Amino acid sequence: MGIAIQTKDLGKRYGSFWALENCDIIVPEGSVSALVGPNGAGKSTLLKLLIGLSTASSGQSQVLGKQPRQHGDFLADIGYLAQEIPLYKSLNAADHIAMGKHLNERWDEEFIRKRLEDLKIPLDRPVGKLSGGQRAQVALALALAKKPKLLLLDEPVAALDPLARHDFLSSLAQAVAEGGLTVVMSSHLLADLERVSDHVIVLAAGKTQLCDDVESVLKSHKLLVGPREHAKNLGDGISVIHETHTAKQSTFLVRTGKGAKLTAHWQRHEPNIEEIILAYMGQAKEGEAQ
Amino acid sequence: MNWFLWRQHRKQFLVFGILLALFAALLIPTGIQYWHTYQQALTNCAQHPAVYSCDDLTDTLFTSQADGFVRIAVVLGTFGLPILVGLFIGSPLLAKEYEEGTNKLAWTQTISRRKWLTTKLAWALGFALLYGILLTILVTWWSNTINTIALNRFVQGHFETQGLMPVAYSVFFTAIGFTTGAWFRKTLLALAITFAVFVVCMVSFANWIRPLYMTPVTVTAPMGPNDLGGKIPTGAWVLRRDIVDKNGKTLNGDIFFVAPPECQQIIQQADVRGNGHGGIRVKAVPSPNGGDPIDDCLNKAGFHQIAKYQPSYRYWEFQEIESGIYLGMTAVAVATTYWLVLKRDA
Repeated sequence: MGIAIQTKDLGKRYGSFWALENCDIIVPEGSVSALVGPNGAGKSTLLKLLIGLSTASSGQSQVLGKQPRQHGDFLADIGYLAQEIPLYKSLNAADHIAMGKHLNERWDEEFIRKRLEDLKIPLDRPVGKLSGGQRAQVALALALAKKPKLLLLDEPVAALDPLARHDFLSSLAQAVAEGGLTVVMSSHLLADLERVSDHVIVLAAGKTQLCDDVESVLKSHKLLVGPREHAKNLGDGISVIHETHTAKQSTFLVRTGKGAKLTAHWQRHEPNIEEIILAYMGQAKEGEAQ
Repeated sequence: MNWFLWRQHRKQFLVFGILLALFAALLIPTGIQYWHTYQQALTNCAQHPAVYSCDDLTDTLFTSQADGFVRIAVVLGTFGLPILVGLFIGSPLLAKEYEEGTNKLAWTQTISRRKWLTTKLAWALGFALLYGILLTILVTWWSNTINTIALNRFVQGHFETQGLMPVAYSVFFTAIGFTTGAWFRKTLLALAITFAVFVVCMVSFANWIRPLYMTPVTVTAPMGPNDLGGKIPTGAWVLRRDIVDKNGKTLNGDIFFVAPPECQQIIQQADVRGNGHGGIRVKAVPSPNGGDPIDDCLNKAGFHQIAKYQPSYRYWEFQEIESGIYLGMTAVAVATTYWLVLKRDA
């Protein structure tokens, strides 16, 4: 499988503040990646760098084999949905479809018309008067009608109610099922991402904490519970992501490398992806506090 | 891209079209009517010189209250429409896209940011240019009668509303509108700054910059009511008229206090007789040679009058210089906009 996105030491600085620092990620072609992290972790910054809306302060990135830039050659294969789901409020959906047709060389008119019809979204009403869910659907349909190879979505469901969120994610899943599409979607709603993604990127405090496919992440992480007196002695080939202690008991979330050996004191549990992600975010937070 | 720009801005273009049509509805009938009235007055005074005078048409024609309103409307419209184009076509052009985030939608279609920007700017500037041209054709045509009577197109309020200037303003303030919009990314702020730039430009060009384009012609005359006026050609733009003493120092305030004692005495006598209060243009006892004794005395003491003016034949040179300056500033604004949009992040 090829690589859709690869970044190396990618960074973005605003004044003296690094919104994103030393970001290394690899996104395989055909994957649906969840880009997660707390607010201000640099998720939007990363996506803007990948689509070329921002220019990097350091490092490189390759997106579909090209360096991001503001040019049709680069933009043709990528769909992007900004966080605030921008649309021209006074124009209706039909105008937006016509805009897409005029501004893109590849454009699937039939697809978008059918899709909006299926979703019962009126084409003749100004999009400013549509519901938030309908606007998100229009914006997603516009991005998909480009027939992109890569879709970058910046918190597309954050502002939607649960039903609209469900519809949106179904639409997305349907588009992915049709094949040939790589998706990177940011959110802080972990449960939603778990439903659609097979790859996870955790950003926290402007740095990459984790970037791997969900299956190997699950395989390589363990939750260890045991007596506190043995907390210093976990075993070999293990790195602690997060730990909590009560008076007698300690809980560790650890990443286990190849040939890792655990000492006998510890009960092992399989954490779910949400627990693992939270552990990484917690780790970054503690690192920041120190 | 062109289709989309038309779709996006057609309402604005339509509103401006209606405004221009309303303005034309005022100017075309009054323009025709003014010309006829003037021709009629010329015929009348030529046929009946005893009843009508051909010399004081400036004072007698178009002096009614209604004419006053028409003139104010013309000046307001010709100043107002170009700045309105700047405020409502220029300012929101980029600011609104930034404000609503739609620039991110446009910039992620299959089109380069440069091409998108070039198309937007070309539409805005093209519209401003066309609008300015139509406006100036209308107003310059309308002003023909007034120009013929008043012979002065130089003064503030006339210079700016005719010839090349409405075009220059329309284009420049549109450019300032989108430059401030790209800079601050807030429509309201861009609007406010564009308007502030307009006020500063209007005031500073008329008062401080425009007089400097060419060295003014200087004339001097002895003290006396009509001596200086006769030396200034009709239609000239008079920049200053002063009284200077024998050392060439410009007089500020009342001449009484700097006049020699013998002149002060004559002025005082004149004040008593004429109930004047220190002014110099009071009636005095005629001097033996028939002149004003105060003027005679002041002339003897070395006082004289001086005037600086721009002759009327320089009008078009001034128009070219000033619109050239605006064109240059427009080029700077456009270059700045390219830099702001292409080099900064979305």
